Amino acid sequence: MLAREVLEELKARFGASVERADVPAENRLFVFVAPSALKAIAGHVFGDLGARYVISVGADDRPFSGKFLVAHDFALDRDHLLMSLLALLPEEAPRVESISGVVPAASWAEREMKDLVGIESVGHPYPKRLVLPDGWPDGVHPLRKDVRFDKVPDGFDPGREFEFGEPPPGCVVVPFGPFHPTLDEPAHFRLYLEGERVRGCEYRGFMVHRGIEKLAETALSYNDVPMMAERICGICGCVHSVAYVQAVESAAALRPPPRAEYIRTVMLEIERLHSHLLWVGLACHILGFDTLFMQAFRIREPIMWVAEKITGNRKTYGLCLIGGVRWDITPEARTELRQVLDVLEREWRAVAEAVSGDRNIQKRTRGVGVAGADQVKECGLVGPVARAAGVDIDCRRDHPYAAYDRVEFAVVTGQGGDVFARLLVRVREVFESIRIIRQCLDKMEPGPLALTVEDDLPAGRFGLSSVEAPRGESHHFVITGEGNRPRRWRVRAPTYQNLQGVPGMIKDQRLADMTIALGSIDPCFSCTDRLETVDVRTGASRTWSRQELAALLEEEAQGRRP
Amino acid sequence: MARDVPLAVLGALTNVVLVLALSPFFQGVLRKLTARIQSRQGPPLAQPYYDLLKLLGKEDLESGEVPLVQRFAAYLALGSILAVAGLVPLGFRAPLSGAGDVVVLIYLLMLSGVCTLVAGLASGSTFSLLGTSREMMTMIALEPVLAVAMVVGVLHARSFRLDAVLDGSVYAAAVPASGLAMLIVMLFAFQAFVGRVPFDLAEAETEIMEGPLVEYSGRKLALFKYAQMVKLVVHGALFVALFAPFGSRLPFPLGFALFWVKVLLLVVFVTLVAATHARYRIDQAIRYYAALLAVSFGALALASYGL
Amino acid sequence: MSIASKWKETRIGLSAGRVTLPYPARPRPAPAGFRGRPIFDGAKCVGCGGCASNCPAREILVFDPCQEIRILKYLGRRCTYCGRCAEVCPEHAITMSQDYETATDRAGDLEQRLELFMSTCQRCGRCFEPKTPLDRLKLKGYRFDDLDHERWVFRSQAYLEHEPPVRDLEIELEE
Repeated sequence: MLAREVLEELKARFGASVERADVPAENRLFVFVAPSALKAIAGHVFGDLGARYVISVGADDRPFSGKFLVAHDFALDRDHLLMSLLALLPEEAPRVESISGVVPAASWAEREMKDLVGIESVGHPYPKRLVLPDGWPDGVHPLRKDVRFDKVPDGFDPGREFEFGEPPPGCVVVPFGPFHPTLDEPAHFRLYLEGERVRGCEYRGFMVHRGIEKLAETALSYNDVPMMAERICGICGCVHSVAYVQAVESAAALRPPPRAEYIRTVMLEIERLHSHLLWVGLACHILGFDTLFMQAFRIREPIMWVAEKITGNRKTYGLCLIGGVRWDITPEARTELRQVLDVLEREWRAVAEAVSGDRNIQKRTRGVGVAGADQVKECGLVGPVARAAGVDIDCRRDHPYAAYDRVEFAVVTGQGGDVFARLLVRVREVFESIRIIRQCLDKMEPGPLALTVEDDLPAGRFGLSSVEAPRGESHHFVITGEGNRPRRWRVRAPTYQNLQGVPGMIKDQRLADMTIALGSIDPCFSCTDRLETVDVRTGASRTWSRQELAALLEEEAQGRRP
Repeated sequence: MARDVPLAVLGALTNVVLVLALSPFFQGVLRKLTARIQSRQGPPLAQPYYDLLKLLGKEDLESGEVPLVQRFAAYLALGSILAVAGLVPLGFRAPLSGAGDVVVLIYLLMLSGVCTLVAGLASGSTFSLLGTSREMMTMIALEPVLAVAMVVGVLHARSFRLDAVLDGSVYAAAVPASGLAMLIVMLFAFQAFVGRVPFDLAEAETEIMEGPLVEYSGRKLALFKYAQMVKLVVHGALFVALFAPFGSRLPFPLGFALFWVKVLLLVVFVTLVAATHARYRIDQAIRYYAALLAVSFGALALASYGL
Repeated sequence: MSIASKWKETRIGLSAGRVTLPYPARPRPAPAGFRGRPIFDGAKCVGCGGCASNCPAREILVFDPCQEIRILKYLGRRCTYCGRCAEVCPEHAITMSQDYETATDRAGDLEQRLELFMSTCQRCGRCFEPKTPLDRLKLKGYRFDDLDHERWVFRSQAYLEHEPPVRDLEIELEE
């Protein structure tokens, strides 16, 4: 259904609760509804219309409309539609009914809204802190417009601890993380083990939350944000910078020139290649198979070199600006890229053949970390995790962006939803990516690299963008603002959703399988966490020990430091 | 006779020194060969010597539950496997072979395994306990295979004496079926005895953070690592003595060299298997050992009938 | 069959040979176009402050101790080598070198400090020509970033008083 049809359907069904709507394009829909009807409408969209849940966003709109804003984003993949259900909440009562009852995937997003913006979701099944550290004082919500970005508030309590639930009877508690050889980034999974079987798990993460969204609203401007966005993640940076600029371009109705779109596509696919090759190596390392780990990284290295030649850096491409891209693909780079792809394809075929027939690997990965199609729908899982369960979703085809509407490629699905299926999906996606890059190189026409933006961007416009990261859908929500910076920017990385599916995947499995099950979603905690306590003073990004941080904060609280 | 004892002791010390000097070299060969399969340059062959020296000089943090027992476990680990070295022929007749019999050998080998258990239990951390339980399961399933191999040798040699058993007794006059069966079983089990991939679950670094050794550092860790290296060589020497004794009658330099060439070939075999496999899970490994145990009991039955 | 796969996997490794590079024994220069450490050329710089304004990491500080002098200090600590400073500089005074070996144990080694004689400059900001309105200067006027504590201060002053500059602001031009 096109945007207008969905709107008509909602208006017909819910009448006056649908207050106002914005249809900026055929594939975007913003519906403002009465707060009391939000849960019912969300349930209808998720259940009856069969939409996929994407994210919930909370924003402090008080300086502009005097109210708080809540948005629930959904995707109708078959109809190529991204839609958002919005509601404005009164300033003195920022409460709304929780939709986690009807949309279980919204669990984390609503907890985050409560932590960061102070919008309470009444009736949430697990209303514990998600993002803010344990000692953070209550009532101070960082994303509110009246809270400074560069100060820790008074009342930080270093002794306060997170209240975990009770372990199930007969289980022993095994802490997995925050320090673990398999995890590149800190996260804490509190496993409840019975012997070698995992019976339950509680997650406490967001240890690398860095405050990026707050910085974008206060200290940075539109064209600074892409450089920071690509540092959200250590592997999929280009995805976030492209998704952000696309969201802003969508809000401001700007269309980058065709060559820029092709270049964005090529770099996104190069990123997918290096990410998938890295993941295969990492998965083999987790399984103790270091030879394949080394080989995957050896095969991957030429891609990093060619990315370095094109953009000036192996991974942080610094590619996007609002309206276009910064780097061009010269004819020499094009030739070299083609050569690299030929060699890569040949070598990867050898690896793919070897791996798919390898019974030793299959023994460790079949039937492990299973997430079936039902769980995919309930938890809103995305990316290879979803495709390995047979769910056919891919933003490149469902919500085409950049130059994906002009190239042909197949969406790789698998069956079984276990780690082996995910391995095969990723291995095969490499070949599809190579195909896309070759088509782009053929079809690219000479032209300008960026749009000349003539005026300031209009304020108060909404923009949504979904980009298929190597791990799944990366969704950005932007409200444009005054002063050359956005009013609100919400980043939903794919791992944000996939992590919510992990407890289900590891339940009743063995501990030895936990690491590979977690690894199979290709977790990127940096993408998920996004918080940065930017220490403006020293500029250094030190890792503080808990005691050091507590001491520093006490000093600040006592006014000894400005 | 009175002169034999100091000579025997001196001979045992020679064995110990020989093993201590050579085992890091074999470890170096293992690492270098693994690197080549992985398209890397790899560390120099002498790297394990440097690693041990460095570890010996590092700070020894006593962070486990019972540090006294941890110290005891570290020294015992190296000590027990070196005691085995004294009993095993290393290209020449074992100097202490008159001092004990097969039972002592089996006991000492099991003791070195128990040291890992004690090490993990004394550390008391969650991950070390997990590793200890895995090691326990492995020992229960695997040590009998070694014992059966020895007993097959005993049955054929008709003696418990080490110098009789460890002299290719499994073959006696001809090549018996039980001998062949045990050879194949031991070849399949060798990887597990020396604790390398795919059977290094007790110390799976990516899953349980080194398992029993997680709370060890500095000198104690050096001792454990050394014990692991020595174990590789000693098990190799045992295997060669029991199942591949060809050429042991050659005069000193040749026989000695041939022996060590055979051990080197075994190390290469271990490396190739380790480099090309993913780690097994404990239940998969136990099933594998159980199958090996079944075949070895079959071989034992055959041996008892003189086959 | 598993053995066949193992053999294939081994062959992949052995046929590739050794890929270890002898770095750092043999230096490995970065390709042209590599975004390494930015080098600031004081001879070309006119002190517009456009680089500082467009640095996403806020690593370039600007301080006006008096009308005649402007101090620009590049800290180099949080620098992400994005190259925006080089891109927006109207005088092309900044080049992204190929230098990537910047590890040091003293943060001050990476600092670059420019002291510019500004004569009668009123800091109106016209010398900086943004490519698009989105790249415009965040702050015009006299700037008082805290050089000692290495901190960007989001304040500026249209007129430089005779008293020493204070952190509180009198006129807020832009946020």
